[in-house]
Amino acid sequence: MTRRKVKLCYIADDSKRKVSLKKRKKGLLKKVSELSTLCGIDACAIVYSPFNNQPDVWPSHNGVQRIVSQYKRMPEMEKSKWKMDQDSFLRQRIMKSNDQLLKQRKDNREKEMTDLMFQTLVGRSLDPFDMMDLNDLGWTIEQYLNDIYKYQSDTNNMMAMVAGSSSSSAAALLAPPPPPAAQAPTPDHGVMRNVGESYQGAAAAAATGSSSTGRFDQMDTQQWIMNLMSPQASFGGDDMMLPIGDTCHTPLWPNNFLP
Amino acid sequence: MEKMIKKSCIGRQKNVLVKIPKKNHLQVTFSKRRTGLFKKASELATLCGVEIGIIVFSPANKAFSFGHPDVESIIDRFLSRNPQHDSGVNRLIEAHRNANIHELNMELTQVLNQLEVERKRGESLDKMKKAGRKQCWWESPITELGSCELEQLRMALEELKKNVAEQATTRILVESTNTSPFFKVNAYENETKPNDQIRL
Repeated sequence: MTRRKVKLCYIADDSKRKVSLKKRKKGLLKKVSELSTLCGIDACAIVYSPFNNQPDVWPSHNGVQRIVSQYKRMPEMEKSKWKMDQDSFLRQRIMKSNDQLLKQRKDNREKEMTDLMFQTLVGRSLDPFDMMDLNDLGWTIEQYLNDIYKYQSDTNNMMAMVAGSSSSSAAALLAPPPPPAAQAPTPDHGVMRNVGESYQGAAAAAATGSSSTGRFDQMDTQQWIMNLMSPQASFGGDDMMLPIGDTCHTPLWPNNFLP
Repeated sequence: MEKMIKKSCIGRQKNVLVKIPKKNHLQVTFSKRRTGLFKKASELATLCGVEIGIIVFSPANKAFSFGHPDVESIIDRFLSRNPQHDSGVNRLIEAHRNANIHELNMELTQVLNQLEVERKRGESLDKMKKAGRKQCWWESPITELGSCELEQLRMALEELKKNVAEQATTRILVESTNTSPFFKVNAYENETKPNDQIRL
């Protein structure tokens, strides 16, 4: 069967339309039959072609009559709840497809941002980014860092659990807590997490790269820029900050990162 | 292809044409196939200009129906076996209805096209991610990194975060100083020029 994209409008060409009609009608009746058998339910179909007063039906004239009677006996409320025509059906399809579209766009944005994060990590300039991109990028980095903190913390716990108290210092050496950066959120480093905390959960969260729970919510990204505006954001005074003109034209860390 | 229920999604299976034994599977199949059936009916009506009526009873005995122009008129036509009266009013109503349906189909087509574009973009982004992971060790999943590498990555990311924050604050600063004073001066200058020209 050829997977050609079908154009959703009336087929003008008579012969093509007749061919399509024959194929599709056959396919449709087959589908009704399958639905009925697979799910053990009653169903019927009635198709009136333009120049034929006799309809094509499934299962049979009598079968249709029976089901139609069954249908007519139902209370009006029940029927109208699930009654559809082209208008209502197409609107529903449009709505569903729109939801899918939004979700796909969101997912793509996340993937794009993660990729950009890695690019800027190895020296791509931040200059051409607009505010929205910077916002999303900052948020993505933060989520990724959170995953790292969590993973490191959990790994510490695991090692401590396995090796006993004597090697807790060794475990601490392996992943020292990050410097108290002004803007970094402070998860409880150096404080032993609950031993009972699930490692699988953390590993799963970390393995997705960027956080699986966070999304590019309006709220979250706005909050990130708000943190930025807080009094902790100093510029010029702090040794660790770069001079403004020098932002990211050259990579800031040893060439280990460059291939 | 939508995945309806993540846990019990077993993908495509060959359907043996007997009633599905498992209740959950049956319900899922019913929902999916019913929607697919109505979609086929909608396409048939649009593409080939047929009138159609479908009635389906769910496992819980709910009556789902799809009809073009509407189920009731199709049923009446079927039961009475009389040819339709094709009055002028009817034709006008039908024309309006078809125009509306055409609009909706165009809108749907547009959304579906956009969806296709985004899906393809998603696929290429996935490819990039995969390739990146092969080439650069720091793009590997966090759990696959050694503790030393992880530490390096962490520090680099923290540095990057600071830079991004700085870029952002710089931009905001620059933007806020660019308003009012300069703008007003420029406007005043532009106002005087035409007058000068007229005098000449």
